[in-house]
Amino acid sequence: MDITIQHGVFVIFTLVTLGSALLVVTVRNLFHAALYLMLCLFGVAGLFALLTAPLLAGFQVVIYIGAIAILIIFAIMLTPQVTRVIKTTNAQWPVAIVVAVLFFVMILSVVSPLMDELGVDDWNADFTQEDADRVPDSTLTDFGESLVSRDRFVLPFEIASIMLMAALIGAVLVVSPDAILRRDESQPPPSDTSVSADTGASGD
Amino acid sequence: MVPLWMYLVVAAALFSTGLYGVLARRNAIAILMSIELMLNAVNINLVAFWRYQKPGDVSGQVFAAFVFVVAAAEAAVGLALIIAIYRRRQSVIAEDMNLMKW
Amino acid sequence: MNFSTDVQASVVAVLPEILMTVLAVVVLGLDVLWPGERRRDLGYLAGFGLLAIAGMIWLPGLAPQKELSGQLVFGGMVRHDELAEIFRAMVIVAGGLSCLISMGVPRLRDRGDYYALVIVSVIGASLMSAAADLIMVFIALETASITLYLLAGYLRDDDRSAEAGLKYFLFGAFASAIMLYGLSLLYGFTGETNLYKLGRALAAGDLNDAPVLIAMMLIVVGFGFKISAVPFHFWTPDVYEGAPTPITSLLSTASKAASFGLLLRFLLAVFPPPDLLDAVESVTDYSEYWVQLVVVMSVVTMSLGNLLALVQTNIKRLLAYSSIAQAGYMLIGVAAIATDRSADGAAAVAFYMFMYVLTNTLAFGVVIIFSNATGSDQISDLGGLSRRNRWLGLAMTLALLSLAGIPPAAGFIGKFLVFRAAVDANLTWLALVGVINVIIGLYYYLVIVKVMYMNDSPDDQPITVSTPYGWALGISAAGVLLLGTLLVSPLINWATDAAQSLYVLL
Repeated sequence: MDITIQHGVFVIFTLVTLGSALLVVTVRNLFHAALYLMLCLFGVAGLFALLTAPLLAGFQVVIYIGAIAILIIFAIMLTPQVTRVIKTTNAQWPVAIVVAVLFFVMILSVVSPLMDELGVDDWNADFTQEDADRVPDSTLTDFGESLVSRDRFVLPFEIASIMLMAALIGAVLVVSPDAILRRDESQPPPSDTSVSADTGASGD
Repeated sequence: MVPLWMYLVVAAALFSTGLYGVLARRNAIAILMSIELMLNAVNINLVAFWRYQKPGDVSGQVFAAFVFVVAAAEAAVGLALIIAIYRRRQSVIAEDMNLMKW
Repeated sequence: MNFSTDVQASVVAVLPEILMTVLAVVVLGLDVLWPGERRRDLGYLAGFGLLAIAGMIWLPGLAPQKELSGQLVFGGMVRHDELAEIFRAMVIVAGGLSCLISMGVPRLRDRGDYYALVIVSVIGASLMSAAADLIMVFIALETASITLYLLAGYLRDDDRSAEAGLKYFLFGAFASAIMLYGLSLLYGFTGETNLYKLGRALAAGDLNDAPVLIAMMLIVVGFGFKISAVPFHFWTPDVYEGAPTPITSLLSTASKAASFGLLLRFLLAVFPPPDLLDAVESVTDYSEYWVQLVVVMSVVTMSLGNLLALVQTNIKRLLAYSSIAQAGYMLIGVAAIATDRSADGAAAVAFYMFMYVLTNTLAFGVVIIFSNATGSDQISDLGGLSRRNRWLGLAMTLALLSLAGIPPAAGFIGKFLVFRAAVDANLTWLALVGVINVIIGLYYYLVIVKVMYMNDSPDDQPITVSTPYGWALGISAAGVLLLGTLLVSPLINWATDAAQSLYVLL
């Protein structure tokens, strides 16, 4: 197959993703692990962009790196590590390696025969230009419309909003100091705003 | 263009790395980060399959977007539980996770 | 396969969920508006609200459409059929009863946010039993689970509760990531997300068995976690022991019932036996594989659950292992569904689950009253319970008889149906293993009855039962008794209708 510039970019993103993923699960300092996690997520965003899914690449940067990874860093800073704990892994780490390698081999054995059967690709085939064109221009609008269309995904979309509301309220109340729970009547609790916000969302 | 199998191999490798992290790490936040790696591997799978199987139908991308949503909710809930425990115990329990022994 | 675009049918199909959302918002709003001492009544509002919504399922106007084309709504996201109805009724009743028994737990009973989270969890569980699309399956499952992670850790002043929440969260998130990988593979094999289209595409495509088998195994891991089948049960005893008891009850009933409903639909729709797909000559049959997986899981689950239950001294841990064993009996019924065309297997699972929901709520309700009164969860401290409150003793005895499978409690009929379905499906040996396990189970259930009636109690202070408990225990005890006697045939008929709709692949 021809080595194109795309292959080069793919290899770079792959190395970034897998390399930093390995560091995430091995480095001792949790803060460093979180930074490597961000790098790894960037690599995945790059892979999404290569797959002509720029919207998801954007999501990846905004939601994963901008929100989730930052949240993790906050949590790490709020729970200072006891530095006396030296071991990062438990006693079962050799078993864990075996399990992980076995899983990888299992998936590889799936992937290799699968390629012919899916009829889209085989082990050495290259994608031609017309395949690249198969992504319709309207993907972005389709995506948006399908989320609110009654014949597509409006139900999971609404349920996801209810789930996010519940997760938010629950998470706030699980961590809030006791003083907030013993509220006095003059001061409305923070859940007030999310209630009124949800009444609008679930009304449709 | 890069063939599909390469993406699937990358996803499998990322998932296995996360699997190792979940089983081997002791710190609850580290386990949570490993779970995020696994979810990202799933997303690579979904987007790659969408691209090579049915690029005309957005279901694969929508599926991946819902994985984002759930990952965000899971991270918020998990970190809230970890911080709540830390407040009471000053780190001990979150430092001594062992998923395989339980 | 057509999706119904009828607006009315679509709204009717998710009406319970819409009403539950409204109920959750009302509870949250009143939590802010009501003064402190009235907030306890939020439990009544949430509990009876849910029970009323469950009751609406029997209204004739809301029944599923008879013509099949009208059943798949919202672009195939949910299927509104009898199977969805019966499992939905179970989970909503279970949620309502847990709200009522929450009213005796200090630090939870006057918190509207707690009741709202329970309701959201029930919304997720209720949609699980109707979901017919990979995306819907995933979102419904996570809605039910994420709220349960929070609820299990909601008593953060209690170390065991917080630990239970974290443990449940880490295991749950791990299991759902593995299951999600399996779902992504299924999507990749076919490019479809609708379960019924997916099943047809898988059967028609000539994939190797190995990839499909691996996807199937990854998904079974996720289900095994939710129903706490061995070997994915590690979390169960610790979480059941540590979580607030009403949540333990919810975990062992609503979450489990919804998972079984989804498991039945998922296995038959995605990996159907070939004769269900009419008019296709050469289809691939994957049903053999999952039948074997389920059979193995069933044997291990019931045996290990029962053996480990024998040595427990804490009543909540004992009920945890007992619920593992009960999941094993239900898996016998699941194993029978592939070969049996009279729909007995699936009907048996639905019947069993229905009675199990009521029985377990009853048992956990008594445990809460008892541990509030004595401050202990130990079985030995149950001594003399029957003298301290005769009705509590009777209620617990009824629950234990039902779990053990002794008439007149409903458990006997449930076990009988499951074993009969296994014999009909040529799995006689599996039914025999089940019977042996029932005999082992008899021992530890009856030991508790003996302790309650024969042993002396440390103090003879009578235990009083507050009004919400009276309601919750009364409803579930009446249910257990009636389902074992008068209401047997109506429920069996309903369960059989539900099971038959399962075999109609759209």
